[in-house]
Amino acid sequence: QGTQIKDVVIKDDAPNALILDKHADYIAAYGSKKDDYEYTVSEYLRMSGIYWGLTVMDLMSQLPRMNCEEITEFIKSCQHECGGISASIGHDPHLLYTLSAVQILSLYDNVQALDVDKVVEYIKALQQEDGSFAGDKWGEIDTRFSFCAVATLALLGKLDAIDVDKAVEFVLSCMNFDGGFGCRPGSESHAGQIYCCTGFLSLTGQLHRLNADLLGWWLCERQLPSGGLNGRPEKLPDVCYSWWVLASLKIIGRIHWIDKAKLRAFILACQDEETGGFADRPGDMVSPCGTAVRPSRVSRCCDLQLQRNVNQSPANSGRRHNFKQPPQLSRKFEQSVASSLTDVDQLPSALLRVYVQAILAFM
Amino acid sequence: QHGRLKIKSTAQQEEEKRKEREKKLKLYVTARDVCFSQRKEGVLDEEALQLTQQLLSSNPDFSTLWNYRREILIAPGDCEEDDVQKIYESELSFVERCLRQNPKSYGSWHHRGWVSARLPRPDWVRELSLCDRCLSLDERNFHCWDYRRVVVRMSGVAVDQELRFTDRLIGSNFSNYSSWHYRSTLLPLLHLESPEPLSPTPQLAKTSPRTNSHRVCEEQLLKEYELVQNAFFTDPNDQSAWFYYRWLLGRAEREEMISCVYVSREEERVAVCFSKPVHAVGLMLVLDGQPQQVEWRSVHPRLRHSPVWVCDLPPATISDIGNEHNLTVHWTENHTHRDCALYTGRSQSWCRDSATDLELFRSELSVEKTSVLQSELQTCNQLQELEPLNKWCLLTIVLLMRALDPLGYEKETGFHAVCLYGDLCSKFIIENTILKMEYAEVRVLPTLCHLDQLLLVTHINLSSNELERLPPQFCMLQCLEVLEADNNSIVDLEGVYQLPKLEEISLKNNKISKIEDLALLASCPKLRSLDLRGNPVTQMANFLSDIAKLLPSVTDLQL
Repeated sequence: QGTQIKDVVIKDDAPNALILDKHADYIAAYGSKKDDYEYTVSEYLRMSGIYWGLTVMDLMSQLPRMNCEEITEFIKSCQHECGGISASIGHDPHLLYTLSAVQILSLYDNVQALDVDKVVEYIKALQQEDGSFAGDKWGEIDTRFSFCAVATLALLGKLDAIDVDKAVEFVLSCMNFDGGFGCRPGSESHAGQIYCCTGFLSLTGQLHRLNADLLGWWLCERQLPSGGLNGRPEKLPDVCYSWWVLASLKIIGRIHWIDKAKLRAFILACQDEETGGFADRPGDMVSPCGTAVRPSRVSRCCDLQLQRNVNQSPANSGRRHNFKQPPQLSRKFEQSVASSLTDVDQLPSALLRVYVQAILAFM
Repeated sequence: QHGRLKIKSTAQQEEEKRKEREKKLKLYVTARDVCFSQRKEGVLDEEALQLTQQLLSSNPDFSTLWNYRREILIAPGDCEEDDVQKIYESELSFVERCLRQNPKSYGSWHHRGWVSARLPRPDWVRELSLCDRCLSLDERNFHCWDYRRVVVRMSGVAVDQELRFTDRLIGSNFSNYSSWHYRSTLLPLLHLESPEPLSPTPQLAKTSPRTNSHRVCEEQLLKEYELVQNAFFTDPNDQSAWFYYRWLLGRAEREEMISCVYVSREEERVAVCFSKPVHAVGLMLVLDGQPQQVEWRSVHPRLRHSPVWVCDLPPATISDIGNEHNLTVHWTENHTHRDCALYTGRSQSWCRDSATDLELFRSELSVEKTSVLQSELQTCNQLQELEPLNKWCLLTIVLLMRALDPLGYEKETGFHAVCLYGDLCSKFIIENTILKMEYAEVRVLPTLCHLDQLLLVTHINLSSNELERLPPQFCMLQCLEVLEADNNSIVDLEGVYQLPKLEEISLKNNKISKIEDLALLASCPKLRSLDLRGNPVTQMANFLSDIAKLLPSVTDLQL
C-alpha cells in the first residue's frame, strides 16, 4: 500500500491558546543573551533577526520595550561604503540584510538615518543583464534577491531606479509547470520562493501574469491532515510555512482554500509553554534564531482568524486570549495584503512595511 | 535547527552542557575576531584559509567568511596553472566536507559553483557523481538539484541522458516530486512538436525553457501518460504524479485576442474585452474608415492591467440613430482586430461569438485531441471505481469533463466539484452560465471570477452568496442595469464605479456600515433605485439627509 503521508500528530495536552506574555518576554530577553553560543553563531543573520523580533513586538503593541536608539545606531554602523547593509558589524553587505534594515527603519519611520541614495545605488548595481539580482558582489542569483531589491526600493519609494520590466521577465522565467516558482530558472517550486515571487509580482503590479487557480491549488495542498503546512509536496509540516503559504494565498486571493481552524490549532500546538517561542512542529525544540520570527507569523495568522471571527459575529469583541491587538494594525495587514491589485505607490509606507515581510535564511 | 526533538534534561546534564557551550563560544569568538582583524589588515594567506575553514566547518552559513576565502583564492600570486588547480581542488574537497555535514547550506553550494567555474581544468564528471551521491542520500535536496543543472549545462550533458536519470529515480520511487519537476523542464526540450532545427544531441539551453509554451509530440506524450498512470495507480494518494498529470494534460498558452467589442450610441462609448488582462497600449479605433483620436482607459483606476478597456467617442459622432456605423478595433501589438457594426435604428451593438466562449474556458486542457482526453477520462474513471474517495482522481475527472464538454457533463462536474472546492464549483457555474448566455443567477459564491466575460450582462442576481465585497473588477459589467446582491456580507462596494447604465441596486441584508462606503455610487449617473434594508448604515443619525445629499439622483430609496 502506497507511501505514508508525512505528517505529525498533535497531542491532546498541546497548548491551544496563544501565550502572548511568554512570547513577548522571550523576544525581549533574546537580545540580552549576547554571550549565548547559539546567539553568537547566528550573527550572520542578525539584522533580519532584529526585524522579525521587532515586528512581533509591534504586533503585540510592545515596541516601546525595545531600544530604538541602540538599534538605529547599530543599523547605521552596518551600512558600508558601497551603500549596502550587512547583518552585523564586521560582516559583508548583502541584499537580504539591506531589506531588513530598511524594514526596521520603516517601522520606526526613520529611513533617513541611512544614506538612502547609496542604498538605491547599491541595489541598482546588483541588477544583472537578464533582469535578475545578485545577492551581493559575489554573484549568487536567486528570486529571493529579486524580491529583496524590489521590496527595499518600494519602501524607499524608488522602484523606478531599476529596470522593472526586465526584473519581471526574469521572475516569470522561473515559473514552473505547477504554477509555482523556484530560486532560478528550472528550479523546483518551493513555498518560500513562491512567497518571494508573488510578493514581487504584487509590488510590481504584475499579478495577472500568474495562473492563480493552478498555483492556489498547489499551495492549498500544502495543508496536511494535522492542519500544519509543508513547503513542498511530500514533506513534513513546519510552522514557518504558515507564513509563506498563507501570505502567498492571500496575495493571489485564495486564502479561503485553507482550513484556518485546523492550521490555527497546529500553530498553537507548536508553542513552548515553558520558555515562550515556537518550535517548527509540535514537540520540537524552540529554535533560537528561527523563533523570533514565528510569533509574528502566528499572531498574524491568529490575527486573520480573529478578523474573521469578528466579521462573523459582531458580538465577539476580538479580544480572546488576552490578545491586545491594535485594531488598526490588523486591519492594515488585511488591507495591505488584500490590496494585491493596488498600485504600490498608492500604499503609504506604513502599510507596506507590514506587508513586506522578511526573507529568511531559512531551511 | 529544524526538526530537533525537545527532551527534558537533568540539572547535572544542564550544567555540563552549559560549560561545554561556554568553551565552544570562547573558541568561536576568538577565531572570528582573529579572522575579522586579519582581513581588515589585508592578510590573504594560508593561515587565514585555515582559520576560516575551522569556523565554516561548524557554521557554513557565515557567508562573509566564504567571501574572505574567495578574496584569498583570487589574490594575484605567482602561481603556475598546476598550483592553482591544486589549490582549487583542495578547496573543493573542503566544500565537500561542509556539504556532508550540512547539505542544505546556500553558502556552501554557491561557493562550490564559484570554485568549479574557475578551475583551470574542471572535472564535471566528478561533479555530476557528487550530485548523484548527494541525491541518493536526499532525493529532494533542491540545492543539489540546482547544482546538478549547472553541472549539466556547463559540461553539455545531453537532455535524453538527464531524462533517463529521472526515469531511474522515478522508477525506484514514484513519490519524487523533484524528478517529476525536472522532467517537466526536459521533456519539451527533447520532444518538441514542431521541431525547429535541433542539433543531433540537444543540450540544455542556457535560458530556461518556457515550459508552458512548448508542446510535446504525441508519441512521447502517450508514453508519458503511461508512466504517470502507472504512478497514480500504484499510489493514488501521491500528489507528485497528479500535479505532473495535470500539466501533461494541458500546456497550451491561450492565444491573446479581443473577445468582445461593445458600442453604445447613447453613451457614445466603446468597450473592448480581451482574453486576458492587458495594458492597453497600441489600441486603435477606426470608425467608418477614419482612425479616431480617443483616450482608452481601464474600467477602474486601480486596475492597471485590465481585460476590459473603454473609450469615449468625440461628441455627436454616432449619436444620430438614423446612421449606420462600422467600427474596427485594432490591437496593433498583436496584429489582431475585431469589427462591430452599429445599424440604423439600433441604440447599441456588440460583436462576440460563441466559438470564442468555448475557446475561453476550454483552453486549459482542450489542446489535446478529444480521443486522447476521452481515453484519459476512461482511465481515471476506472481508478475512481477502485478509489471512490480519492480527491486527486475526482479533480482530474472534473477537469477532463470540463475540457471535453462543459455543458454535457454539467451535472457530474457540478456534483464532484462541490465535494472538492467551493470556488471551483462557482467558477464552473459562472462559465456555464456565460456559455448558455442565461440570466445570471448564481448560487454560493465566496468569490467572483470571470467578471470580464460578463461585459454584456444587464441583470445580475448575486443574492444569498458569501460575498464580502464587490471588487474593482466588478466595473467590467459595463452594460449592467440591475444589480441584486441581497443576503451577502458585503462591506465594500469599490467595484460599483462609473457603471453608465446601472439603474437599480438591491443590497438588502448586507454589512454596509458607513455612509462613505456608498460614496462611489454617485459615479453611476443613472442610478435611481437603491434598497439598503437590513444594513447597519441605515441606523445612523442623519442618514436620510446624508444619503439624499450624496445620491440626489436616487428617487426610490428603501430603508
